[in-house]
Amino acid sequence: MRRRLDAWVRERLPLEPLVEAVRHKTVPQHRSSFAYYLGGMTLFLFGIQVGTGALLLLYYRPSASEAYESVQFIMTRVPFGWLVRSIHAWSANLMVAAAVAHLVSVLFLHSYRRPRELTWVSGVLLLGLTLAFGFTGYLLPWNQLAFFATRVGTDMAAAVPFAGDFLVRFTRGGADVTGATLTRLFGMHVAILPMIATVLVAVHLLLVQAHGMSVPPGVERNAQQAGRPIRSLPFLPHFVLRELFGWTVALALLAGLSAFYPWELGTKADPFAPAPAGIRPEWYFLWMFQVLKYAPATLLGIPGEVLVFAGLGIGGVLVLLLPFWASRTDRWRRALVGVAACALLVMAALTVIALMADGGAHK
Amino acid sequence: MTTLRVVIGCAAMLFASVGVVQTQDRVEAARKAFEGDVHMAAGLQCAACHSGGGDAAASSYAVERTRIAPMCARCHSDPAYMRQFDPQVRTDQYSQYLTSAHGRDMARGELRVATCSDCHGVHGVVRASDPRAPVAPLHVAKTCATCHADRVRMAAFGREATPFADWSTSVHATALLKRGDTSAPACSTCHGSHGATPPGVTEVANVCAQCHVREADLFRASPKKAIFDGMGQAECLVCHENHAIHQPADAWVGLEQGAVCATCHDASTKGAQTINGVRLGLDALTRGLASAESVVERARRAGMLVDDARVMLQEAREHQIQARVLVHTFADKPFADVAAKGLEAVQRAERAGEVALEELQYRRRGLAVATLVIIGFLITLGWKIRRLAAPGS
Amino acid sequence: MGDRVADTGPARRDVLNWLLGSWLVGVLGSILYPIARYLVPPELPEAAPPSVVAGKATALATNSGRIVAFGTAPVIVIRTPSGELCAFSATCTHLTCTVQYRPDLEHIWCACHNGHYDLNGRNIAGPPPRPLDRFDVTVQGEDIVIVRRT
Repeated sequence: MRRRLDAWVRERLPLEPLVEAVRHKTVPQHRSSFAYYLGGMTLFLFGIQVGTGALLLLYYRPSASEAYESVQFIMTRVPFGWLVRSIHAWSANLMVAAAVAHLVSVLFLHSYRRPRELTWVSGVLLLGLTLAFGFTGYLLPWNQLAFFATRVGTDMAAAVPFAGDFLVRFTRGGADVTGATLTRLFGMHVAILPMIATVLVAVHLLLVQAHGMSVPPGVERNAQQAGRPIRSLPFLPHFVLRELFGWTVALALLAGLSAFYPWELGTKADPFAPAPAGIRPEWYFLWMFQVLKYAPATLLGIPGEVLVFAGLGIGGVLVLLLPFWASRTDRWRRALVGVAACALLVMAALTVIALMADGGAHK
Repeated sequence: MTTLRVVIGCAAMLFASVGVVQTQDRVEAARKAFEGDVHMAAGLQCAACHSGGGDAAASSYAVERTRIAPMCARCHSDPAYMRQFDPQVRTDQYSQYLTSAHGRDMARGELRVATCSDCHGVHGVVRASDPRAPVAPLHVAKTCATCHADRVRMAAFGREATPFADWSTSVHATALLKRGDTSAPACSTCHGSHGATPPGVTEVANVCAQCHVREADLFRASPKKAIFDGMGQAECLVCHENHAIHQPADAWVGLEQGAVCATCHDASTKGAQTINGVRLGLDALTRGLASAESVVERARRAGMLVDDARVMLQEAREHQIQARVLVHTFADKPFADVAAKGLEAVQRAERAGEVALEELQYRRRGLAVATLVIIGFLITLGWKIRRLAAPGS
Repeated sequence: MGDRVADTGPARRDVLNWLLGSWLVGVLGSILYPIARYLVPPELPEAAPPSVVAGKATALATNSGRIVAFGTAPVIVIRTPSGELCAFSATCTHLTCTVQYRPDLEHIWCACHNGHYDLNGRNIAGPPPRPLDRFDVTVQGEDIVIVRRT
């Protein structure tokens, strides 16, 4: 009976090769193998976002007159609604952190090398998508802070040469941030971005499975010199159980954060109210915010904002296409790590400055 | 000899020209100020007031202080003339002024008292309804204070110079100057403007009752009215002061030191029981409200839904306000009923706050259980991983 | 205690797997329970609405008023002596007592300090410093519907 059922399933679900591949998959083990868990952690948090996001959709209403009230309703009247929303908000932040950590570790371990160029590109695109998720989701509760932050954030697009005005209108769905913007960002947040994300995540995972885990060049060389194979860990169950351990810790962390620091709702957005003190974007955009503050009004006749955006744009393209221009010499790689570390430090410092300036403004 | 005459002549001319220059400056300044004047807008010229002098002597331009009010009254007491500028205009200012303390003194030839221009300005007069006017609600107290807060000037009339300072500490000044509530009273609201004179003992309650109608009604219906009248006491002022009217405190009701009732009453007098009963009721409400508010606030800060509790708190506060008004009945009954209703609302609010806090505890306990389960799982998982590590490596 | 069971390797692994499974059920339970509770609709099926129904239009007699809850704030609906409907925030602008309609005076009155408002919500006597906020009233079918002015 059981054998027949087994056979019936196997015939209709030809997963045998996949199961076999997973069974033989191994993960290299070395000093930096913790980095292999960061992608999985990002994936787990993405899964939480999909789950809690779907739950929030049951009660959320995407209109300027009802959005705030419906979120308030979720937070106060729906059983465990406070938990679902707080987890969604906290997990979004942790996911950005995990995705950035994943990217940085891949960069530092040079895992973007041939033949994994496309994995890197899809990964960078996914990070951009994560930030877009954060930006579009920020406005959805329609509270005062998010309203003004979105107004400032979308206004920055105006600095883009030629297409600036169009971009502002495109993101806002009109000349100003209104109910139309809310509906628009909502549509992006729950339909368009998830659609793209699903495809990109599938491609990314497929590529990861196809190429297997990358071994850092240094580790590879050491193993070659010593003439012994690189130690490895079976994917199933060793690696999966370790990953599960990390996920469970993340889950406990999310539950604790949500219970003790429930995500605030603030007051309802009022387009005619004066901008509240301390408007600021989400923390992961703060460094850009701070750079804009330092930008000179004009330099050589070009507006400072345009210069900043040009710089950021060039930087973004360089990061996206990193595997195609990165040289393979050791010295060059060390230089790249140094430059990346400096860039990260500067970004962190800018974020801290912005946070401290904001803290001062509250006093 | 001739030289001396020339020198003297030159000196005389020099002095004369300095005088002329000074006069010219003053005329110029007056002309400038007059450009924003409501009279200028109405088409009046300098000569409308300064008609006395055709000659250049400076002194002849100035209008004597005693003649200022009659001069203004030439137009302002003429309804037919004034109507062309404002159909609603009042023309009784001068007749009121004549009845005021200022006007009576001025009629006796006392030049140190106020006349029209002292409050409304000289050149550059604006409408009284203009917010910039020195008699506009936000400025009028300061305008009165230029004389009435001057100790030396007031001493000459045997008057205190304290009213402005006293009023500045009052709830009325706070409402007017801090909150910008222009319906709050300044000097002229109680004393009148053109007919300004201190209200007498019997009039005071009528003045207060202009706004505090309910308190006045309750007071007049109470036994206190006849007693205070018999003693020649100015009703409201006995407890609330005249200028330094402060936020009333529950502690005013009572028999101990500092309570206003204690001025006349002690434990042996009639009404001691009522006084104590009212005080107990007020204190119970205040304490209950504070305690319920803190419970509800704690729940709110923890992110709990406390809308219902806040509605109940609001209800309780309303009863507290009513109860405080009902103190003016100086009787047990209506007060006790309202205070009881307030206390009942307080208890409901506190209960609702406690329910919210219990819900919070429930959440925390739920989290604790979930965390325990997760930690148990993690420990077992860690154990499992360590067991697996041996064959794997 | 662990060392004693270590001798019997497979038996210990079974115990471990069973234990792990049980804990996993617990973890899944603590995830699924909130989700299940979340999915059950709450007693109040909707968020605070931007409008409320203030009873039947026919039930509000001429020259009378009624207090209704708008979210958590009271609103007073009045049918004026001339038969028109109007609605105001019922929170007195003086010290936030709830106002009422006085048929004898034909206007709105606050009992706390004898504040008076006319049928346009203007403070006409007593201590209230500001007029009452006005709400829009429409009649839909039989019902009076109050909408907050934006």
